[in-house]
Amino acid sequence: MNKPKKVRNPLRKRLFRELLHDFGKYVVIFTFIFATIAMVAGFLVSDISLKTAYDESFEEYNVEDGHFTLLTPAEDGFFDGMERYYKVKVYENFYADREADDGDAVRVYRLRKDVNRTALWEGDYPSGMGEIAIDRLYAENNGYSVGDTMIIEGRRFRVSGLVALTDYSALFKNNTDMMFDAKQFTVALLSDIDFDVIQPGEMKYCYSWTNDDRALSADECKQKAEDIMDWLSGRAILTDFLRRADNQAIQFTGADMGGDKALITTLLYVVMAVMAFIFAVTTSNTIEQEAAVIGTLRASGYSRGELLRHYIALPIIVSMIAAVLGNLAGYTVLKKYFASLYLHSYSLTPYHTVWSAEAFWLTTVIPLVILVTVNLLVVSRKLRLSPLRFLRRDLSRRGRKRVMHLSHRLRFLSRFRLRVIFQNVPSYLTLFLGIFFANLLLLFGIMMAPLLDNFRETVMDSKIANYQYILKAPVSTSDADAEQYCLNELLDKPSKEEVMVYGISPDSGYFRNISEKSVPAGDEILISEGYSEKYGYLPGDEVTLKEKFSSKSYSFRVKEIVHYPASLAVFMNDDLFRRTFDKDDDDFTGYLTDRRLTDVKDAYIASVITEHDLVVIADQLDDSMGLVFPIIGGFATLLYMLMIYMLSKLILEKNAKSISMTKILGYSGRETGRLYISPTAWVVMISLVVTLPLAAIAMRYIYNYYMLQMKGWLTFFIAPATYARMLLIGVVSYFVVSAVQYLRIRRIPMEQALKNNE
Amino acid sequence: MDKFLEIHDLVKYYGSGESRVKVLQGITAGVEKGHICVVLGSSGCGKSTLLNIIGGIEKPDGGYVSIGGEKLADMSERKLTQYRRKHLGYVFQFYNLIPNLTVRENIEVGAYLGSNTLDVDELMKTLGLWEHRNKIPNQLSGGQQQRTAIGRAIVKNPDILLCDEPTGALDYKTSKELLKLLEELNQKYGNTIVIVTHNDAIKNMADQIIKLRDGMVRKDYRNEQKIAAADLEW
Repeated sequence: MNKPKKVRNPLRKRLFRELLHDFGKYVVIFTFIFATIAMVAGFLVSDISLKTAYDESFEEYNVEDGHFTLLTPAEDGFFDGMERYYKVKVYENFYADREADDGDAVRVYRLRKDVNRTALWEGDYPSGMGEIAIDRLYAENNGYSVGDTMIIEGRRFRVSGLVALTDYSALFKNNTDMMFDAKQFTVALLSDIDFDVIQPGEMKYCYSWTNDDRALSADECKQKAEDIMDWLSGRAILTDFLRRADNQAIQFTGADMGGDKALITTLLYVVMAVMAFIFAVTTSNTIEQEAAVIGTLRASGYSRGELLRHYIALPIIVSMIAAVLGNLAGYTVLKKYFASLYLHSYSLTPYHTVWSAEAFWLTTVIPLVILVTVNLLVVSRKLRLSPLRFLRRDLSRRGRKRVMHLSHRLRFLSRFRLRVIFQNVPSYLTLFLGIFFANLLLLFGIMMAPLLDNFRETVMDSKIANYQYILKAPVSTSDADAEQYCLNELLDKPSKEEVMVYGISPDSGYFRNISEKSVPAGDEILISEGYSEKYGYLPGDEVTLKEKFSSKSYSFRVKEIVHYPASLAVFMNDDLFRRTFDKDDDDFTGYLTDRRLTDVKDAYIASVITEHDLVVIADQLDDSMGLVFPIIGGFATLLYMLMIYMLSKLILEKNAKSISMTKILGYSGRETGRLYISPTAWVVMISLVVTLPLAAIAMRYIYNYYMLQMKGWLTFFIAPATYARMLLIGVVSYFVVSAVQYLRIRRIPMEQALKNNE
Repeated sequence: MDKFLEIHDLVKYYGSGESRVKVLQGITAGVEKGHICVVLGSSGCGKSTLLNIIGGIEKPDGGYVSIGGEKLADMSERKLTQYRRKHLGYVFQFYNLIPNLTVRENIEVGAYLGSNTLDVDELMKTLGLWEHRNKIPNQLSGGQQQRTAIGRAIVKNPDILLCDEPTGALDYKTSKELLKLLEELNQKYGNTIVIVTHNDAIKNMADQIIKLRDGMVRKDYRNEQKIAAADLEW
């Protein structure tokens, strides 16, 4: 007898043939995994690259640890003692707020050399008179290019360059604004010649400081800031004081980047879990079809592990290739797209691509672990049966199945279809789960535009007044309709989120715009709906607010919730306000009015909150995410089609012999289709209807979680038409797929029933 | 001579409660190494169950099977798999070939398991499959498929070849060819072959005949008038 060479596992040769045999299935799943991973990798790489650029900008551009504004400029040497004692360095960072001819706000700074240095995206810094460098993002949003002319308060400026100011990565005009505004607000740089002509009355005497030790902990930074504030408050009149940690213009970008990452990787894992289940269900089906072969192999000495590896090899190989190619596409093509989305929202410094192990881990390792785990669990459970059970094709885990009794009153066709459903319970459960996830994605994709519209409408309908004037000092107006009110910005103590605290007269005519009742006369308060929804405060609860720059806190009892969606707000009577915050009896912050006040000089006006300011959060979200929502909607529709296609295909394959037999018996292709496709139609329709409210409930939780990461609150709202659209998309997806499946049924040959009839 | 395969007081039940049936009622027998043993009996007499217990894919409720001195009952699941891998070859009535592998590859599926395997090319020639080596199962006749299944079982040169109704799905002529082949393999490679069948004529080619009825051994005897498979008639 010759001693033959050792044979390599011949089962491996099946893999490529299996791939070719079921090419459609693998192509669809491959495409889905590839597209999802490419999208997420592209997003993460751009996110990590830009976040790295953002994080590194603090040191590279010497970004301040905080700033403060004095009423008058400090004299030379004023800060020497503070700098020495607290080990900080103070820089002049004066600015003036201007208005462009189209009404946009322009905050101009002198060219910076030491602190909060700037990055030049295009063109040059201003070098002479009449030149200005403006924010790149604002320029994009308003169609400005280098060389264009910008008219500011009657003066013409040539745009010499497009820049990013590192202390304005998010263009918040005021730190109290709910959302930044890169459309109607820009920061800009002027040459010394133009900056020096700004009148003293218009100048904001802002000073930035940096700690000598740039590696201080958050607590140490906070302590240092408090020390600085204490030092200043005895020596100068502070009009503003802001630590970097509290500065939205600096911090918002970093916080937003992280939040999106969690959301999008969750999306990836959900899609991977659905794909893993599709693979597992189709592999289980293959195992059922090959039961006798498996029994023979097991009886011949093949171990369970060898067969397990064989059956999960192809899903893993396909997924791995999809993951690798998806990463490649993500790192190259899609990175640019997602970076452009970020750059369309934030004013960031130029970045370079960072090859991140974290992105690889999140987009490749974890998805593959999900896929392998699900397949290992499902397939190993399937293969756990004894060789004999495989040989006998008895794969029911509960031993001999009890046949479910179906009443003979049911028509034959109904009973037949019910049997098909019972036979395919795992496939239909996966289909249900898939439709649920697809609906969730679809809901996210199509609910946001109506939600933002609804927000704008309700804000407009329930605003206190057209204008809320905030004054630097109480001055009178002759406008009889203008109503004095008090305003303070405090922090919700547990969450540290800013809350607008209004002190309003119980006789207020404007307050009736948001509530039929007037503000309570006693010590109780009203809170806005958003504040209640976001942090779960209800009537009778105690709300604790604290001062922004001290540890002083105040507690109030909530009387009622008022429908005021514009911000997180607390309303109390002006008497309580003045007592609580130790104000004079005639003190007030500004005016509520429906008309512009013409007799109050600009010098006395700190800011005016208009309708635009109230809905800027919606505009900004629309602007930054407007392109993403339809992509998610389209993705969800594809997921629908994939799920329905894969699982109805599987059901047809499982029943190919029976379908062939019904054809032999004389059933027409149409009748056969009704027998084997209608059950899937039933399940799809039931799943669509049942998962709609489930998706809405799940979305509410996800949405609340998402909004908790953001400043402010947008009331959750699903327009009734959204449900109708979702249902329509689901039904159309199903009909497209079932048309393909009808063709498939027609192609099943009658000989199928006569072949290998063991 | 010591029995290579020993079956001692095998008992096996199926079902539970009132529907509990005693399929094997204390079977004791032995087969010598290199012999062909035919187990005869009508449908439901327990012959396939006996074969499955010998093959270690079913466990007895009483008694034991020992092959080459090793008791199967003492083996763990993992050891049983190793045992089947090393010592057993299986042929079933239905061929259970892997549909998308060629004849050669289906035989290699068996070869992969063994360490002392036969030469695949030579075996395919012996089995008359050389011309068909690159065909896949649905391009073959029933006889060719069964020969491929035998090739898959025998290629690892097992100590015992277990055949469960190997001619059950074949016509007379093909069945005879297949039995001739088994005889030839037995002579060439010296494997012990246990054939379970309800075809009475096949007993004539066996060295030993065991007749079962209602789960009990009715007769167990050495066949003194053994004839060649080619001379079988039924």
